[in-house]
Amino acid sequence: MISVEQYLALSAVMFVIGVVGVLVRRNAIIVFMSIELMLNSVNLTLVAFSAYLGDVTGQMLVFFVMTVAAAEAAVGLAIIIALYRIRQTVNIDDINILKW
Amino acid sequence: MTLQAVLFYLLAAVSIASAIMVITRRNPVTSALFLVLNFFSLGGLYLTLHAQFIAVIQILVYAGAIMVLFLFVIMLLNLGDSQSLREVISLRKLAGVGLSTAFLLEIIYILGFRVSDFPAGEVTRGLEIGTVEYIGQKLFTDYLFPFEITSILLLAAIVGAVVMAKRKLD
Amino acid sequence: MVEQILESLSRFLPETVLVGALCLAILSDLVFRQNRGIAPLIALGGLFLSLYYVTEQAGVSQQIFSGMIVVDPFAVFFKFLIGVTAILIVLFSFYSSEVQSTQKRIGEYFSLILALTLGMYLMAGAVNLLMMVLAIELTSLTSYILAGYTREAPDSSEASLKYMIYGALSTGLMLYGISILYGLTGATDIYGINASIAYNGVNEVTLLIAVILILVGFGYKISAVPFHFWTPDVYEGAPVTITAFLSVASKAAGFAMMIRFFRVSFIDLTPGGFPDEMWVLLQGIEWNKIVAIISVLTMTLGNLVAVWQDNLKRLLAYSSIAHAGYMLMGVVVLSNAGVAAVLIYFMVYLFMNLGAFYVVMLVANKTGKEDIDSYKGLGYRSPIVAVSFVIFLISLTGLPPTAGFIGKLYLFAALFEAKWIWLAVVGALNSVVSLYYYVRVLRNMFLRDPAEDKSPIEFSTAQIVVLIALVIPTILFGLYFAPLVDFANASIVMFGVR
Repeated sequence: MISVEQYLALSAVMFVIGVVGVLVRRNAIIVFMSIELMLNSVNLTLVAFSAYLGDVTGQMLVFFVMTVAAAEAAVGLAIIIALYRIRQTVNIDDINILKW
Repeated sequence: MTLQAVLFYLLAAVSIASAIMVITRRNPVTSALFLVLNFFSLGGLYLTLHAQFIAVIQILVYAGAIMVLFLFVIMLLNLGDSQSLREVISLRKLAGVGLSTAFLLEIIYILGFRVSDFPAGEVTRGLEIGTVEYIGQKLFTDYLFPFEITSILLLAAIVGAVVMAKRKLD
Repeated sequence: MVEQILESLSRFLPETVLVGALCLAILSDLVFRQNRGIAPLIALGGLFLSLYYVTEQAGVSQQIFSGMIVVDPFAVFFKFLIGVTAILIVLFSFYSSEVQSTQKRIGEYFSLILALTLGMYLMAGAVNLLMMVLAIELTSLTSYILAGYTREAPDSSEASLKYMIYGALSTGLMLYGISILYGLTGATDIYGINASIAYNGVNEVTLLIAVILILVGFGYKISAVPFHFWTPDVYEGAPVTITAFLSVASKAAGFAMMIRFFRVSFIDLTPGGFPDEMWVLLQGIEWNKIVAIISVLTMTLGNLVAVWQDNLKRLLAYSSIAHAGYMLMGVVVLSNAGVAAVLIYFMVYLFMNLGAFYVVMLVANKTGKEDIDSYKGLGYRSPIVAVSFVIFLISLTGLPPTAGFIGKLYLFAALFEAKWIWLAVVGALNSVVSLYYYVRVLRNMFLRDPAEDKSPIEFSTAQIVVLIALVIPTILFGLYFAPLVDFANASIVMFGVR
């Protein structure tokens, strides 16, 4: 029998892969994909809890997280397009983050 | 092993492998396709948890809508192989990876030693709460308000995306 | 169900008006293609009407829409604050050459400001983690776009992208924290979380991780160190009007949500739970110690880095980070006096910070520059603006007889009362550091000759009227602050608490 901890461990691993992707990659589009990975692992956690608690709240949250993810992706990609038109790059190191 | 266990380990392996591929591939198109694979395996995992409705919209919304958006932008900006960026390893990135790994170990510790109070036992009421009827009923009663707020969120996102992306090409 | 929804709708008028105005502003832009002046007027009208309905809600304490959000004095206070800020920002936008230069898309600009205001209103009242996420997301998405609004400037799009990446990352972390908290307690509304922790007890280590992850989301919104990285770049790159809006309203909404979340979720709500006005923590996680550390880091880093800044927008960005640090001190003390002090501080901060950004905008309109050197000789070129700026900066430092002093006074009083002496000392030292960089600007304005251009700078009467409207409360609340204190003390009442 699979316990809730196994689902949680899986989602923790996926979440951390997503975080590493955001921190390490320089291609803004791949950074956004990594954020989608993070949101998906959140969804997995929520569905797992929802199932083991026998409570639908978690699945409702997932529904809304998906909407948020879609809206975020649309706006984020639009910003990337706007920036690409000016700079011809999607490299986030070109736009010196962490300047004091 | 039960069917649930077999499916779980299979899908878990696929989803972790595809997630790693997403963040390690240089070509964004390859990453995007592995992300689709990841979404499908998650959809399968939701089914093992009896969350049918979520499993279906996972495929429809993520694989169907969000990923198409990603691929569309990659092609619009023509970011094929030639545009792949050379990635550099910096101290900041190593620090980031170190912190993330520490975080992961911490979570695994909590889960592995069962020091948490997470619900134990089996999937309960799964077949009842995961259905479209049950979720739909909740959505239009208790969750009506967030549902309506979502429409404003999407309206703002549409306006914003159009404002950002629409620009005279000069 | 239907009755309950209709009943809730009658308590939801301020937000409904905003939604109506939002749709009208978008439509007006489509219908009246020739006349771009209509959308701003709709926005202004909508904001005034919604502010009127907010004041109508005074004294109400009620949970609406199946316990998704509440209308209580605490939420009404922040909605009032955010509404006033939004009106002032719309007025600023009339005079901002940056905004007016994007004439073609002016309708979307004002409709997005309305959406942003709506998001912040919801943040002020959200009592369900789901609503918190949606409200944060509505606020964030519109801020990302507005930060990049003058897209012709590369800075602006860059600011947008940075803001977005940090924002998405912190939302992801916060959501993960929320999912763990849900698993621990089986609830998403904060009263349910409180009940679950109080009666069933939860694992402390897991709870701590969840709380820290959720704190990332709040820290990002109020730009607390170490989640502040986006702040200077976004404040510098975004149009001044939006920078001013984010620095006051967005921060206020973030604080409202954070205080409510911690107050309701992790403090004993049972009757008799707090003997002498001090709150009693549930279980062993002392989240206020974490907030204390963040507070010290935030104000110290904000003030120290501000010293090196040459661009005035960046300087004010770091100064606003420092102010978030001061206000966090009020959250640390776990008492009603502390929260009241934060509310007083916010009311004061509204006028002084908006005033400072307004001056930066006026000067940038005329000279096109934002660096400190371009303020040389401003005292001779435009005495009214320069003197007003002095008043705002003195108030930001926290010296009498300005309102900023009253804000700090109540904060420190709350700290002393709760025996947080070391934190008060750190706060006081920080104020001394802040004096240094504010005085640097004053010195440039009055003691240095203008580099090349010595001609006086003229401003229109309307612009001066708005400026004076910000100067008067900044001084008045420094001398006559009793109504301000009464308002804040009446506004600390939250639904379901006490």
